[in-house]
Amino acid sequence: MSEKFASYAFPDALVSTAWLAENLETPGIRIVESNEDVLLYDTGHIPGAVHIDWRRDLNDQTVRDYIGTAGFADLCRRYGITPETTVIFYGDKSNWWSCYALWVFHLFGHTNCKIVDGGRAKWVAEARPLTREVPKLEATSYPEPPQRLDHGIRAYFAETLAHMKAGLPMVDVRSPGEFSGEVTHMPEYPQEGVLRGGHIPGAHSMPWAKAANPDGTFRPADELRALYAETLDLKKGDDIIAYCRIGERSSHTWFVLKYLLGYEKVRNYDGSWTEWGNMVRSPIERS
Amino acid sequence: MYPQPLQELIDLFSALPETERREMLINMAETAPLHAPSEGETFDLEDVRKDEECTDTVGVFLTAGPEGTVSYKISLGPQVQTLTRAMTSILCQGLNGSSAAGILEVPADFVPKIVGAELVRLRSQTVYYVLTRMKSAAKVYLNRLRTASLDS
Repeated sequence: MSEKFASYAFPDALVSTAWLAENLETPGIRIVESNEDVLLYDTGHIPGAVHIDWRRDLNDQTVRDYIGTAGFADLCRRYGITPETTVIFYGDKSNWWSCYALWVFHLFGHTNCKIVDGGRAKWVAEARPLTREVPKLEATSYPEPPQRLDHGIRAYFAETLAHMKAGLPMVDVRSPGEFSGEVTHMPEYPQEGVLRGGHIPGAHSMPWAKAANPDGTFRPADELRALYAETLDLKKGDDIIAYCRIGERSSHTWFVLKYLLGYEKVRNYDGSWTEWGNMVRSPIERS
Repeated sequence: MYPQPLQELIDLFSALPETERREMLINMAETAPLHAPSEGETFDLEDVRKDEECTDTVGVFLTAGPEGTVSYKISLGPQVQTLTRAMTSILCQGLNGSSAAGILEVPADFVPKIVGAELVRLRSQTVYYVLTRMKSAAKVYLNRLRTASLDS
């Protein structure tokens, strides 16, 4: 194990591209690509990888929510995943969507999941093999989970409001312009229907990107601690909520806080700013 | 309603099942570099910029042809998404040789017919981006022509 991985609270939460290259055919693992670019997987992917699209596969197609327990079991069966399978996620955008997919898997109690450090960009930069061949998998009999665990790692609006009123720590991981209220969407992205700009009163700004190196890998543990423990003064026992605009960037920060730094109680407010910034009379701070 | 080459592409994509549509879109995305300007090539109008609506720089290069027609070359930065690359090829094939005035009138409702309902998602709004930029270049070009005719 590398010195960098060993410095994290849960070193096993990550795998390197080199490790993955040597374990493409190891039994008991399923490699999953999750991207923002909806056609990127189809243009070429890591051999053996399947594609989980956040909207098609993880979101309910009617209500703004995630799939239910039956939908999750069906997804796993289709992709040859059993409760014992180690699911290894990677993707574009410094692993935003792979962290998001991993977080959704945790909602259903499937915690045997890992992230490829550096994601798709690092794999491609290292000229490792890509294929357009979609694996043909034998369906499994993944049992339907008894429930979706919405209250351990997920925060709803009402819980976030109570959190704010109690003065508990919140991390706003959006860009500085979004935090200040100068803009309502991240740079380079279209406006997606947020009516008000700003942030949840009392939230600390720590853009997700500060946790990543330019090549998409996670920064070493000491640098992450400097950001979250020193700059934001987050303590190990703190009850922390992270949010962004729709929950994908905050999934990245959730993973960093929970698995790389070992904070015990971290929730992702997936309603995030597209819910908070549109909710009638929800308090907003600008700076 | 649409220029004939574009109509043919719409008909082609509309008839494809989802998996073949995706395959065709990827093929289109892979051929986007064929529509990039060549070294030293000159144009009647050049508009290279990085907008908030797109993840990387896009350059639109317009050449005027006979009888008010125009043709385009498009340069795309490396971060531009696959669907936007595909739309670049489709639009260059579908609109090159049309009149600038006609391009301004092309309705954007053909985009879902090409991309398909499955792929029209909140984060794929940038599939409209290249069309908007091409129309913008056509408008600037026509305004220049009008100004020139007033001056003469």
